[in-house]
Amino acid sequence: METLFFLIITLVAIVSALLVVTCKNPINSALALVMTFFCLATYYVMLDAPFMAAVQVMVYAGAIMVLIVFTIMLLNIRVDATKRHSHKVVLGSIIGFFTLVNTAFIIMRSRVAMPNGPLTGEMIRQQGHTELIGREMFTTFLLPFEITSILLLVAIIGAVILAKKKL
Amino acid sequence: MDMITIPAVNMTPILPEIFLSVLAMALLLINVFIPSGQKSYLGYISFVGVVAAGVLVGAGWGAPVESFSGSVVQDNFATFFKIIFLLSAGLAILISDQYMEREGCNHGELYPLILFTVVGMMLMAAGTDLMTIFLGLEVMSVALYVLAGFNRANLKSNEAGLKYFLLGSFSTGFLLYGMALTYGATGTTRIAKIAAIVGQMTVPSANIMLVAGMLLMLTGFAFKVAAAPFHMWTPDVYEGAPTPMTAFMSAGPKAAGFAALLRIFLVALPTLQVEWSQLLWVLAVLTMTVGNITALRQDNIKRMLAYSSIAHAGYALVGFAAGNGTGAAGILFYMLSYTFMNIGAFAVIILIGKKGEANGTVMDFAGLGFKQPALAVAMSVFLFSLAGIPPTAGFIGKFYLFSSAVQKGYIWLAVIGVLNSAASVYYYLRVMVYMYMKEPTEDFEWTRITPPIALSLLISVAGTLIPGIVPSVILQFAEQAVKLI
Amino acid sequence: MMADPHLLTILVFFPLAGCLLVLPVWKRPAAARPLALGVMTGELLLALWLYASWQGLAALKPILPGYLLVEDAPWIGAFGIRYTLGLDGISLLMVMLTAFSFCVALAVSWRAIGEKVGLFLALLLAMETGIMGVFLALDLALFYLFWEVMLIPMFFLIGIWGHGRHIYSTVKFFLFTMFGSLLMLLAIIALHLLHAQQSGVATFGLHQLIATRLPAGTQLWLFGAFFLAFAIKFPLFPLHTWLPDAHTDAPTAGSVILAGLLLKTGSYGLLRFGYPLFPQAAQTLTPLFYTLAIAGIIYASLVAFAQEDMKRLIAYSSIGHMGYVAIGIAAWQPVALSGSIIQMANHGVTTGALFAMVGMLDERAHTREIGAFGGLWGKIPLWSFFFLLFSMASVGLPGLNNFVGEFLVLSGTFTKSPLAAGLAFTGIVLTLVYTVRLVQEVVFQTERKPLPLADLDRREICLLALLALLVILMGVHPAPLLDLIHGPVKILVGGAP
Repeated sequence: METLFFLIITLVAIVSALLVVTCKNPINSALALVMTFFCLATYYVMLDAPFMAAVQVMVYAGAIMVLIVFTIMLLNIRVDATKRHSHKVVLGSIIGFFTLVNTAFIIMRSRVAMPNGPLTGEMIRQQGHTELIGREMFTTFLLPFEITSILLLVAIIGAVILAKKKL
Repeated sequence: MDMITIPAVNMTPILPEIFLSVLAMALLLINVFIPSGQKSYLGYISFVGVVAAGVLVGAGWGAPVESFSGSVVQDNFATFFKIIFLLSAGLAILISDQYMEREGCNHGELYPLILFTVVGMMLMAAGTDLMTIFLGLEVMSVALYVLAGFNRANLKSNEAGLKYFLLGSFSTGFLLYGMALTYGATGTTRIAKIAAIVGQMTVPSANIMLVAGMLLMLTGFAFKVAAAPFHMWTPDVYEGAPTPMTAFMSAGPKAAGFAALLRIFLVALPTLQVEWSQLLWVLAVLTMTVGNITALRQDNIKRMLAYSSIAHAGYALVGFAAGNGTGAAGILFYMLSYTFMNIGAFAVIILIGKKGEANGTVMDFAGLGFKQPALAVAMSVFLFSLAGIPPTAGFIGKFYLFSSAVQKGYIWLAVIGVLNSAASVYYYLRVMVYMYMKEPTEDFEWTRITPPIALSLLISVAGTLIPGIVPSVILQFAEQAVKLI
Repeated sequence: MMADPHLLTILVFFPLAGCLLVLPVWKRPAAARPLALGVMTGELLLALWLYASWQGLAALKPILPGYLLVEDAPWIGAFGIRYTLGLDGISLLMVMLTAFSFCVALAVSWRAIGEKVGLFLALLLAMETGIMGVFLALDLALFYLFWEVMLIPMFFLIGIWGHGRHIYSTVKFFLFTMFGSLLMLLAIIALHLLHAQQSGVATFGLHQLIATRLPAGTQLWLFGAFFLAFAIKFPLFPLHTWLPDAHTDAPTAGSVILAGLLLKTGSYGLLRFGYPLFPQAAQTLTPLFYTLAIAGIIYASLVAFAQEDMKRLIAYSSIGHMGYVAIGIAAWQPVALSGSIIQMANHGVTTGALFAMVGMLDERAHTREIGAFGGLWGKIPLWSFFFLLFSMASVGLPGLNNFVGEFLVLSGTFTKSPLAAGLAFTGIVLTLVYTVRLVQEVVFQTERKPLPLADLDRREICLLALLALLVILMGVHPAPLLDLIHGPVKILVGGAP
């Protein structure tokens, strides 16, 4: 049952990912991208990671996509700009294919060596995913968590400097 | 549900980082109240701040102190690199003012961004967790993207910023993927734990996920240190970025990349050394050769130094390929001396240049030798050091790196390195030929040398010559720094 | 005072101190010239004083056998690099030659260098330090340091004050020598590491490294790297191509130093480091060495015959003369080696003198074309007299200095390889041919172009008379110099199988 569900989701994910790059209209592409994000969120749910799923939907499918769509609409892309560049498609597909094979090979070969983490699905159901993540974030990964604040600050300053009309 | 107990954290190891972050934020606020045209004061404050941070860092020399449950450490290795970062930042700040004033982009945000870059680099060197290292790298990179495009009125600078951003994000993707795979293979991001788990594996190289993780991390860092074949961004970015930032970028972040590489590969993955040292062998040869051969044909001096900086990354990779204590200490020493000689050379370029990035070719050095003798002598010292001619720090550094390769038995690597070094002499000499043996094509007013840039030149010359003549003290520090690794 | 080893440090760094003194006044020739003269004369006096007291020093028996003075101090502990300077008879001869050649170089450029005089003198002084260091260093890393350092001033000397295609020449010169020496650096490092592996002692000291046991293959590689570096400096055929260019385009002082000293660093390095460190490999490569040396002699003589530029001609003759030095070293036999060392000094004096004289002529006539002159005997007899004398010395006329060196080299080599000696002898005949042509065309022939030439002035006469005196003295009474190098040569040759 789960496998069947997985296969269906995967099919949707792949098709919508293809649509992202093949659609002529950027809005359609963006919408296809949202679809892909949703499929990824589904994977997280299946992997007992509901928090990640929620974040995926809220941040990527929600916030980031809204930004992208806004940008597309604001820029008001004309028809000539919507023309797809078709050169290097062959090269791209070859590289993509090999990357895929490579990745598949890696995943299949190293199945055995995967160590189990300290958290089990049981624990997640008992304590809640969000709390476990929060706990890790404020204990083991406290410092990296704090560093992200600096990272965001730097990014904001950068955005202001590069984009503001007059400094 | 029990409360989360935040583990006791010892702030001392990250005191310099905290200090610099707070200073940077304070400068952002102060900036608002300083009228444009007087932004130099921010530079002075940040320079003093960098010196103070240097004192804080220096106080940490000694036994290692861990903190944040093993995310970060204060050890001699990190301390040595932090000093390099602070030196590069300090020198960059000193040479920024005059240039930015001339190019009309002396915005106050420059200095906080430089300080944030340093914070990022410090976290990369001190991080003992892949997450810390990654976030440090991101802080550094994001700040650098902005610094590369800082001269907004200049199209080339814009291009540099954008190009650096795109390729940098791309490389970050590689790095993160590599880290994720490593995490998948070992179940932890702590470097010490990775080492323990990989050490227990009977044949670590058979664990394809781990190997793939290693390769991707190597690729990611190779982008950051500008190693061939991942160097394509370097020339355009170095040429387009404001010159002081080019100087900074070629010294500090390169060293930071090496710091993280060394820690991850030598501490976490020593059991895979046979595999990665062969890879690095190839990488080193490619990097040196591509850098030097391409530099031979450059007329634009910033571009020439960009390619030469690729070549220098190659020399450092020689020591990395050797992967022994000598090699690691050699990299430390080399990065330190490279900081001085390269930023020094860029300082001279700033003084030669004119508004709008004009006067940036080798030919523009014509006649410098007799118009500005002191400046030309300083430039000669830097160039001789870059070429690795004694008695300069560059020579001792190369001596160190090539000995490590010979020690390891990589004779051919050393031979290729030496031949490259001989080839590089040509393009460094070319600048000198113009300085001393050609007449200037046009007569123009020389830029006034302001005190900060003079100070930076003085420091750079001292830092290039003194370790070349009496290297013992610094060599000892470098060797102590790598002892723990 | 008698045996104070710090004398060596003074010997090496006194000129550098002079350089630092000259730099501040580099824009005032009137101050810079006497200062440089004082320093160089002081250096020469110090060298001569050392020579005067060498027997007394030898009686004191310092740490190393055969050495008169040894100074030793730690320098870079991490690598085991020490600051070791040592003076033996051979070094002393070279030191005297160095101090003397620099005085000559200064004298010939007294007027000839008109612009940027102070800088010129500062560079000369800096180079003197480098060359002194090369002749005295006993630590391979230290030797390498001086070896490289002496190139830098020469690079500027040719590049700034040279003529013709001076930039091309100076870059070529620098790259050639740099290329060779970098490979030597690797060999030095490899030797150091092999020694450290065997004995557990990290050192670059020559006398410790000699004890390293090396497999034949390794030895061959390492010697090859050393040999390449030295052969470029020598210069041996076919690595000589930088030399004619550099000589032709260098200012006179540069030519004097190049011919008198820089070439000698190659031969000195070979006999001080190359042969003692890798005796078997050196033996293996001896036939090659002979071949290159003889090919060089014959080739250089033939090419010299076709030259129109006097300076270029003398440059090629230099290659030929250094060929004899090479043969003497290749024979590695006491008599031949002594001959080589004496020949090194002789060549420095004679060729230096010839370059100086061509420089003087060039100053007056602004050309060095052989075809432009003729009949100088009647116009400037003094110049012609000295030129004839030095040319004869260069050919190896008995009673003049070169004869001693060549005679010793050939007679010594004859015992080892009659063939090589025989072939080298034909070289002497060829030398005679082109030198006679030079003298014939320039000094005797009838005048071809009416050139307003003034004869030598007092400064030039003093200089040339001094050189002529040396040429004759070393020719008729070489015994003191032979005594000086006798001991060290025996030790060197005794060390080789």
